[in-house]
This record gives sequence, C-alpha cells and structure tokens, in this order.
Amino acid sequence: MNSHRKGTPSARFTTYIDFEERPIDVPEETNVDEEKIEPHLLPGEIMIARANNVLKFAPLKANRTGISGTLFVTNFKVSFVTSLPVETKERDMHSRSLQNRFLGVHDVCLSEVDMVNQFSEDSAKKKRLLYNTQMPPRLSGLQLVLKSLRVINFSFKFTPTGEDIRVAQALLHHAFPTSIDHLFLSCGYAPSSPGIPDFCRPADWEHELQRTRCPNWRVSKHNEFFNLCASLPTVLVVPRDLLDAQLEQAAQHFQGTRPPVWCWGTPAGAALVRMAQISPSITDKQQENRMMGLVHRCHPMRLQPKIFDLDQILPSLKEIQISYIKLRELHTPDDPTQFWEQDRHYFSRLESSRWLSHVSKCLEVAQNAATAILHQNSSVILQDASGCDLSAVISSLVQLLLDPHVRTIRGFHCLIQKEWVALGHPFTKRLGHTRNQVEEQSPVWLLFLDCVYQVSLQHHTALEFTSEYLVALWHAAHCSLHSSFMFNSVSAKYSASDVLQRENPQQPIYLRPVWSWWAENKSIIENEQNGSDEEPLDCKTSAREAFLNVHYIQKLFKSLAISGAVRRISDPLSSAYHTWQHIDCLMGETRQLPYDPATPIVPLQLDGSLRLDTSLSNLRPWLNCFCAWLSEPAMLTLNDSESLLKDSSPASHHWSHIHEMYNTMKDLLSQNLTNGAAQ
Amino acid sequence: MAARGQRSAKRRSGCFLVMFSGVKPDKRSKVKGITQLGSRSSSSSSHSSNSNTTRSNSSSGSGGSSSSSSNNKGGGCKSHSGSSSGSSSGSGSPPAGTPPHTQMASHESLNSESKSSSLNSKLGHESGGSPSPPKSACSSTSTTSTDHHHTNHQVSHVLTATSKMTVRDGSRTLRPDEPPLVPGEQLEGTAREVTYLCPYVGPKKGTLSVTNYRLIFRSPETDPPFELEVPLGVVSRIEKVGGANTSRGENSYGIEIFCKDIRNLRFAHKQENHSRRMVTEKLLQYAFPASHKLPFFAFGYNEQYQERGWSVYEPIAELKRQGLPTESWRITRINEQYELCETYPAVWAVPAAASDNDLRNVAAFRSRGRIPVLSWIHPESQATITRCAQPLVGVSGKRSRDDEAYIQHIMDANAQSHKIFIMDARPSVNAVANKAKGGGYESEDAYQNAEVQFLDIHNIHVMRESLRKLQEVCYPHIDNSHWLSNLEATHWLDHIRCVLSGALRIADKVESHKTSVVVHCSDGWDRTAQLTALSMLMLDGYYRTIPGFAVLLEKEWLSFGHKFAQRVGHGDDRHQDADRSPVFLQFVDCVWQILKQFPHAFQFTEDMLITILDHLYSCLFGTFLYNSERERIEKEVKTKTVSLWSLILSNKADFENPLYSANTKHHVLFPRTSMRHLCLWDKYYCRWNPSMRQQEPVHIRYKELLHVKEQLEKHVDELRKELAARQTHDSPRVASAIV
Repeated sequence: MNSHRKGTPSARFTTYIDFEERPIDVPEETNVDEEKIEPHLLPGEIMIARANNVLKFAPLKANRTGISGTLFVTNFKVSFVTSLPVETKERDMHSRSLQNRFLGVHDVCLSEVDMVNQFSEDSAKKKRLLYNTQMPPRLSGLQLVLKSLRVINFSFKFTPTGEDIRVAQALLHHAFPTSIDHLFLSCGYAPSSPGIPDFCRPADWEHELQRTRCPNWRVSKHNEFFNLCASLPTVLVVPRDLLDAQLEQAAQHFQGTRPPVWCWGTPAGAALVRMAQISPSITDKQQENRMMGLVHRCHPMRLQPKIFDLDQILPSLKEIQISYIKLRELHTPDDPTQFWEQDRHYFSRLESSRWLSHVSKCLEVAQNAATAILHQNSSVILQDASGCDLSAVISSLVQLLLDPHVRTIRGFHCLIQKEWVALGHPFTKRLGHTRNQVEEQSPVWLLFLDCVYQVSLQHHTALEFTSEYLVALWHAAHCSLHSSFMFNSVSAKYSASDVLQRENPQQPIYLRPVWSWWAENKSIIENEQNGSDEEPLDCKTSAREAFLNVHYIQKLFKSLAISGAVRRISDPLSSAYHTWQHIDCLMGETRQLPYDPATPIVPLQLDGSLRLDTSLSNLRPWLNCFCAWLSEPAMLTLNDSESLLKDSSPASHHWSHIHEMYNTMKDLLSQNLTNGAAQ
Repeated sequence: MAARGQRSAKRRSGCFLVMFSGVKPDKRSKVKGITQLGSRSSSSSSHSSNSNTTRSNSSSGSGGSSSSSSNNKGGGCKSHSGSSSGSSSGSGSPPAGTPPHTQMASHESLNSESKSSSLNSKLGHESGGSPSPPKSACSSTSTTSTDHHHTNHQVSHVLTATSKMTVRDGSRTLRPDEPPLVPGEQLEGTAREVTYLCPYVGPKKGTLSVTNYRLIFRSPETDPPFELEVPLGVVSRIEKVGGANTSRGENSYGIEIFCKDIRNLRFAHKQENHSRRMVTEKLLQYAFPASHKLPFFAFGYNEQYQERGWSVYEPIAELKRQGLPTESWRITRINEQYELCETYPAVWAVPAAASDNDLRNVAAFRSRGRIPVLSWIHPESQATITRCAQPLVGVSGKRSRDDEAYIQHIMDANAQSHKIFIMDARPSVNAVANKAKGGGYESEDAYQNAEVQFLDIHNIHVMRESLRKLQEVCYPHIDNSHWLSNLEATHWLDHIRCVLSGALRIADKVESHKTSVVVHCSDGWDRTAQLTALSMLMLDGYYRTIPGFAVLLEKEWLSFGHKFAQRVGHGDDRHQDADRSPVFLQFVDCVWQILKQFPHAFQFTEDMLITILDHLYSCLFGTFLYNSERERIEKEVKTKTVSLWSLILSNKADFENPLYSANTKHHVLFPRTSMRHLCLWDKYYCRWNPSMRQQEPVHIRYKELLHVKEQLEKHVDELRKELAARQTHDSPRVASAIV
C-alpha cells in the first residue's frame, strides 16, 4: 500500500496557508550584504534608485507571506533581487516569454507598467499614483499593475525611510516617459537577423506581388522620405494606372494624408486594399471615388469592389478600450476576497465587458470579406478612420483565413510585419508607451491576437504556432527592447533611432525586431553575467514546444505516412521532400529558425478551408492570456496540483511521439545517405 | 466465431439518435451505447467533410461520412460491409476506436446550405430508392447502409441477420425499413405520415414506430433517411397538442414529448389518419411502466455480454482493497437483513471500538438509521471519510452519548490527528431549519475535538430548478447575445462549483491534514454521495480506472441508497414529482470537470460518462433501477436484468482514454474550482443543438497520432528491408533505389 501515494508532497513550493493567518514572514538575515547586491545591467542601462529590505508578495496570497529582497529601478526595468527561490509559476512564465533574454525572472520592463498604486497595511484603500502625483512622506507599499494583466505587490514595511519614495519617483518618472525615445530601446548588442522581410524595401513588396500573382498593381517609391504620408513605409503598392503625381494629389484628401494601399491579393485579381476615411475637412468625395474607380479597374474582370466601412460595422476604438478596462478589472483582483467575489459573476461580467462580442464581430466581418474574395472574386476595400487600426485586424484575419502561408510561423511574422509594423499601426499611442495621448489608447493588437486565438481553437491543426505564442506576442509588445511594437510608424522608428544616435554618438544603436528571438540562442543576461551556470538552450527547447503547434506537425507527418511518400522523401521534386524539410526546420535541434529563410516561398494557393463559427456561444474567453498570471487563490494547504496540472498539459504525450517519429525518419535518412556515400 | 459481444462497436451517430448499445439484435455486433452526439440534423453531406482531420481515413473517403467511423476491431461487421463504396470496411482501418466524436465535426455543417441540400435530395430519393441496395445478406434492415456514410443524422443500426423480430400486428409485414430491434424488444405500433418537427432543420415526414423499449422515427424524405430513436425511459411527459376541431394549419395537431435528457420532440399527426391516439396510448404505456404496473424493459432485455457486470463490485473485496479490516476498523454484517437501516447496504465497515449494540444506539440517533459508516480510508495516514445522515438533534438540542462516543471512536481510529471535521453539506441556514423537523447538526460543545463546517450546497429542489433553467438556455435555440449571462443565471455552474469545492475541502483535510472527515447532509443520500464519491475520486486513483469508477458508483451511490428511482422517476408519469432531481447528473458533471482539468488521470473518456447518463434514463439495464440495495435484491435485479457494466466492460476499448497515464494513480487531484475554470459540458447539454460547435477532444487527435506513427513506421520498415535486400543483390544502385 505504500506505493499508493507519491510520498510527501515536495517542499519546494512555498506553503501558503489561507485558512489560518500567519504572522508576517520577517526576513531574518537582512542587512547581510545588502549593499553588495546589484542588479544585472545591460550595456547602457543605468541604475536609478534602490530600496533595501523590500517584500515582494506573490499575487493573491492574503496571508502576507512575502519574499524579501532589494528593489531597483533602472532606466529599463524594475528589478527585484533576492536569493530566495522563485515560484514555479513565475519561472515557467518567464521561460516562455520572448523577453527572457533581457529580463530576469523577477524583472519587469518599465514599459510594461500600466498603473502604479499605493496601498497601505491598515486600510484596504489603494490610491493610484501618477507621474505628477505629489508623493506622501512615506509609502508602505506599491502595487504594480502590468499591461500583461499581472499584479505585483511590494511592501516597504522594513525599508529604510527615503528609499521607498526614491524608488517610487524613479519608477513613475521613467515608466511613463514623455517621448518614445526616452525608453530603453537599444542595449548595444546587434540582433541576429530574423530572416523576415521588413516590408520597407521595394523588393519585399515586389516579392509579395509575385507570390500572390495579383495582377495590375505596382510598387511606388513615392513616399521615399515620408513626404507623402508619415504612417506608411517608404514603399507602397498602388494601382498600376495611378501615376505618382496623382497619388500625391489623392493622398491629400485622406486622413493622415494616407492614400489607399494594396496589401494582399489573389491570382484571379481580387485585391485587398486598406483605405483611410476622407479627411473631415474635405467634403468633396471625388478623390475617394476616383481611388475606388482605380481599384475597380485593376480587377482583371472589372468586378465592382466590395467596400467594408469598418467604422460603421465594428466597435470604435473607444469601445474596445472600455471593454479592455473592464477585462483588466476582472482579471486583476487585489485579494482573494475580491477574486471570489468577481468569480461568482465571472460569466456575466465577461459578457458585459463586450470583449467577446467585439471579437465575434471582427471574425464575422473577416469571414464575410474572405468569402467575397474567395467565392465572388471581388476586391475588398477595408476602410477605417485612419486606415491603420481595425483595417489591420480585418486585413490580417482575411489573409489568415485564405492564405496557408500565413498560418506558418514565418508567414505569420511576415503578415504582422507587413500589416501592423510597416503599414503603421500606431503602437505607441494604442498601447500607451508614453504618458501622452492617454485617450488614444486602445488594445487593437490584443483584439487581433484574440481573434487568432479563436481561429486556433476552432481549427486546431491549421496554425503552425500555438496560442501560447500569441500570448508571448502580446507580452512582447510591452518590452521596449523588442522594437517591433513600440512605434507609431516606420518613420517614427527612424526618428527615434536618430535621436538616440545623436545622444550617444559613440555607441551603435540596434533596434531589435521581436522576430530575432527565434534566432537568438542565448540569453543576453546569462551570456554576459554569469557565463555558464544555467542552460539557456534548455529553456528554449521548452519554449519551442510551447510555441509550436504539435497538431500541425502531426498533420505534416500524416501526409508522410501515406503510402509511398517515404519512398520519395529524398526526391527534391516530390511534396514529401518538402514536407520533410518543413518538419526538419521545425524540429531540428541545430536549426536556428523555426523556418528556413532560404526555402523558396511557394506561390499563393487560396484555401477556403477555415470557416469560422462566429456566434458568441462558440467563442471562448482567452484564459491563457487574461489569467496568465492569475492563479486561483489556494484553498488548500498543500498545492501540489499546480505541477500535476502543468504536467498534464495534453500536448506532452503528443510531443514524445512526434519526437520519436522525427528520429525514426532522421535515422532512416542518415542510413540512406551513408549507404549512398559508401557507394 | 467471434464471441458474442465482442464485435466492434459501431457507432454512427445520429442526429437525434440515441443508440444504445447492445441494443441491436445482432448479438455479434454490438453497438455501443453511446448516444452521442447530437449531430443534428444537418444532413448535408457536403459539409460534414469539413471536418476533419480527425476523422479516420477510411471514412473520410466517402464524402465526409460523418457518421461512421466504425471501428471494426474484430473483423468487420458484416452488416456494414455492403455499405457505401467500400469506404469503411475496405481501406485502412481507422485508428481503433475512433470514436463517436468524430462525428461531431459535422456540427459545423449546420447551415443553410445543408438545409437546402437536404431539400433537394428529397426530390430524388424516395424511400426505396436508395442508390445501392444493401448487399449484405444479413437482414433486411440493414438498409440505409449507403447513406450512413453520408449523413450525420443517421441512426445507425447495426443490424443483424439473426434478429428475431416480432411483429404482432398481422396486417403489417416486415419491410426493409423496419427498424432492427434489440433482444426482447417488440414492435407495438406504427403510424405513417407523421411529421417530426425538428427545431433545427424543419419538419420531416415519415413513419413513427413505438416498441416496448423506444420510439423510432424514420423519414425517407431526405437522402440519407433521417432517423431518430429515443428510448422511452427518457420520456418525462407526453402532451397532446391541438384538438380535433381546434387545430388549424399544418402540423398543429400532434404530440409533444418532453425528455429527461434536455430535449423535447414534437410530432405532428394527420387528423384523418387517427394515428395519434394509438401512438399516445402506446407511448404512455411503455414510457411509464411503473405507473401501469408493467415491468421495466430491463427485465425483458436479454442481450448476452462477454463480461458479467454484476460482479464488478464485491463489497468485501473493495474493503479489503482499502486494507480492511485493520486494528481500528472492522467489517460487520449487522445489516444483512436490512433491519438496522433499510437504505444502507448489507456490509458495513465501522470502528472496531464500537460494539453492535453501540451501532444500534447510534442508529436511533441518526436520521433513518443512517449511521456513520466508512467510505474510504487513507492507506498511509489512516484518515478516513465516513458518511451518515444528520443527527436527530431537534429544537431541544438532544444529545446522544453513544453517538458522541462513536464519533470519538472514528477520530481515535486515526492516530495522526486529534481533531475531526464534520462536513455538513448544507448551507448553515438549512441545517438550522432542519432542527424544526427533528434533525439538525452536531454541536461543537457536545462533540469534543470536532469542528463542523458547512459546505453551502443547496437542496434537490434548487438543483432541479437550476437544470430546468439550463435546459431553457440550451434547448432548442441559444440566444447568442446573452449566452454567458443566461448561463450564469441558471446557477448550474455555481452549484457545480460548490459541490466540487466541498469535495476538494474534504480531500484536502484527509490528504494534507491527515484528519478524518465525517460527511452528511440531511438524509445522507444525495449531497453526501456526491461529496464522498468526488473526494474519493480525487484521493484514490483506483476510482479513476474504468472498473474502479464502476465500483465507486456501485458503492457510494447504489449500495448506500441514493434514490435513483425517485430522483430520476423511472417509468413514472408524475413528472412534477418533487422528489425528482438531477443529483446524479450533477455528480457526473463534476467528474467531467475534473477529467477536463486532468486529461491524463482518467482511464475513461467522457464518452463513458455520457453512456452512463443515457442509461441512467433508458431503463435498458437494471443497474440504476430502484432506490436501494434492499429493493434491488427483492426484485432480483441481478438475476433478471443485465448490468450496465456488462456493456461497458465488454466494450472497454471504446471508452478507454489513450492519454491515460497509469502513474497518475498515485497522485491526488486537486482541481481548480473557480468559475473561470469551469465550463459548461456542451457535449452533453448542447448535444442536440447543431449550432454548438463541439471541440474535438484531444484524445481523438492522440489516437490519430498513434495511427500515423504506426503507418509511418511500417513504411520505414518496408523501405529498410527493401534497402537491405538491394544492398545484397544489387549494391551499386542502392542509393538511388531509395530515392
């Protein structure tokens, strides 16, 4: 009978007891060599303030058990340094983040901070601190609410007077900068090449035109110095019959002087075009009609384009922001009592946030637009106020639904680079990276990721990446060292880069696209600081398993398992060969990228297989994202289930078989090769 | 010859069809009883093909037959072999046991297109005209085979050569489309030109037959024919709609059948056919046998199964498995004649320190004599879960020294703790209110070292009401714009959460505090059974295996007297009976929630849970009949009926969870119980609604993966052999030979 149980539950996990109140865990050692503790700094990073003897509370642990350490604020991050062990959940989330190269497990990038609250021991009240708030003489604690919906509490109960205020001031000042170039954007290491076109060069767009074989459009370089439109890249694709001079004239009539641009199309001629609204000051619709006429004429069969006025049919940016704020409230409770109180009404609160209904509308519109392109072969014009918010959501979703390439990691990166980064979604404004234009905030980016999540739920084998990866992309949008999602436009990125260069003439400035994550094998921190003691590669492998969709790979293997496919696997002309190459890219230990940039991109084959069910009862709240940091307040004495819950992630069994299959195949191939060589 | 009962199960799913296993007359091919899916009606073949990857190769060959993924393990059912285009039997057999869910995929299909396709098809195919006549020699009924592969809502029948059909009414002859019957089933009446008013795909005209076991509706209007089978046990009430003179308009005259499994069926009759009266009479008679002094169908059902389900649970053996008797616990047969407590089993485990006389005295102080008896003992710490009914404290606050001493014995039996928890499942208000009726709860003054905790679970009436609301929300149509708030307003998940967290608390006390727990509610047969069974499921991996789960139900639910007959209302026409309540359904829902959080910890899949629930109502098996062990013995249930476990254990492979890893057996499961981690079991509650998109279970994908792996390895092996052969004979060409 002894075997019945697995022995005493491990003591690794800090015990949190909610049933019985425990005294505060007063740090005994303290002062040992507090002064010697230093945070890991990246080149160019400066320590601004420190506070000793700070307690950090695990979220939602009412019993006031905290871990003790030193809190630093630098110009890049809030860093908590402690010698105590890390909670498994935190470690786990950290290993699956795209920022773990620069941030340690207790670090938080400043641009991730959404709100700073002051709380005190005795009263339940908390007070929001703004960058211009007058500081009280003494702070008993700070609560950070992060954009990733995480809450961290620090208590200054044992902190020497004065340090608490200095830390708070530094934090408020640097987390909400006046200008984007005040953020810590470059750390002095050159990023690895991500192998993703940045859609700022003519060749990238030409390549996209070739791939889609969409006729009658041309690349224009008329925006070379952003003189035409600041929110567009230097290169854009416009109707073949449109002269650059006409383009310039037309641009003046649209909001932000942003002329309509092609972003995708089909070989049959249906084009996907994004267009801003006519400037409010202009009553004359002539230019708008003219542009529509040109889109019409571009269609080889002269079919009338379908116009989707997204401002009419989708929620406004304001509504999206309001929904998000409600979601944020629902997922950042202060204490267990509030958690359970919210939990009782979780479903109705979720519904009244209307977030899912926004998701549903976006999916529905995208589905309609995709149907128009696929079945009616008509061009689609997506029009929204500035041409760079909801049109980006819909345009990206349409491509996801129709273009199998976009469902691979590489294709998805290209899509985001093209639709969001190059075509100028104003990330700085929408995600609130600076203290300005607070009223312009609206997490359109999160809305899009949630839509993709719903697609992945309904079509589990369709996407090469998992929803975990989507979560990581959301979190990556708040790390200033990943520059992809920091700027309002390509031109804003250039000017920020210029400013930085001017300020630090001797230091090279490297803006690092988020995609370089896949190519970087080592953590910069560990590389720099302690060289060897941990194995960064290991955490990468586990992150890969979390990011790659095992069911997608299963589908690839399935096509190899059909009769005769294995036999043709070394024949470069066969599809089996390509499938194997694809698998090898995804699984191979030695490959740096989850894809091979050298593989020729196959021409677009339209694929209408992703039909979505957009009714609300078929959408699911994205718990992995919204509750990523929120664990249920323990009702239990011992919580040994978290680990079991995690181990039982259903994909783990899948992965082991996939690896076995991969090895079998590799074995076979190497055998053949040796045999061949022997001859 | 293949042993009977062993053949594979075939499931096709049907739209509304509920198919029960074993039901089919052919003993050799057993159908599994899963009634899954509701893939409702969308009949479109074209759509269903969307689906899936999951589907086995073979079936996908024929245009998305959603339904068939048959798994022929032992060699194929003959009855099907003639079927369509050889798809299923011929090509590679699908991964074993591809389950019923594959069919679910077809849900996607419900949409207008599918509708129209079925309408069109109407024109072309009349009933007899199915394109290829059944080739199988078997029976006339095997029909529809062709269509099976195309349709979702097809009922499947596996049919059989040997079926003996009895047709009583001499005027009818058995036609090819007569339904196949299960052993013991008899056709009682047939009405033609009846219209089934499907809430999803519109009216369907066809033939309605009533047997002593179920009603069967077939409509040849569409291709494939639309079929619906409903065991009469699920019928809760039958109402006539429209009168002879008042009904105007089409389809306004007929009957409506309200079912216990969250759906209602409406059939319109033609007044001039005068068929309604006959159908209604037969339905009333066979749906409510208890009210008509007729035996349940289970007593007539005589399918043979390989496994004998009745022997799955032996009380003594189970107690021995738990390590009994020990120094502190003994096994007693004091209740062998059910005299001390008529709703308890014959065999009890009680503290060794309590004499038989003590037991009698304690019984006098506990409601209905249900004294604290051992449910489970921790193999290491000896902490126990015992169950009982409320003490008879009353308004005057009576005490019983014997009862107090008895609780002390239970506590003393566990040397690890000097404390004992008494978990009262009720909200404290209700517990107090019960004092007025002579009941109540233990006062901490009287019971030293005991701590009473209330778990806030509401009573059976609240649960019944909650399920009624849930049904309104789920069936027939879902209001999308208020789906979540409507769902919340039913409080169904709230109640599930309470039960789960109560059980979690018990498991935590036993496992982490090594403290014994006494559980009771009012009578100790509803909430108590939920709590003890769930906490045992969390604590003991044995109960998470297929036979273990059977033991758990037999022990905690059946032997300890959960009143199945009353709560379900088997064969009883008093549909408003206040004793009815979905207590057991709620328990199964909780099990599903845990299963969903720990997909690797259970040997069975949700299919087994659905099958159990379907047969809870069907009255095909004797398992859930009657209220207590004593009644079942009186009625000789074990000798005269078949056990549900016979079906399940004989078709174990169909219920097995491929993801199960046996080493989770030693783990204790502590599920998360916050609302956001619970979900509605849409595969059960919304299964009739084709607009609910069912998530494809991951275990299906896993089965497919194993299949792919096997295929791949086979190809690789072949290639290796070939390579080796060439190397010997023709070495220079080896390299090129491979490529």
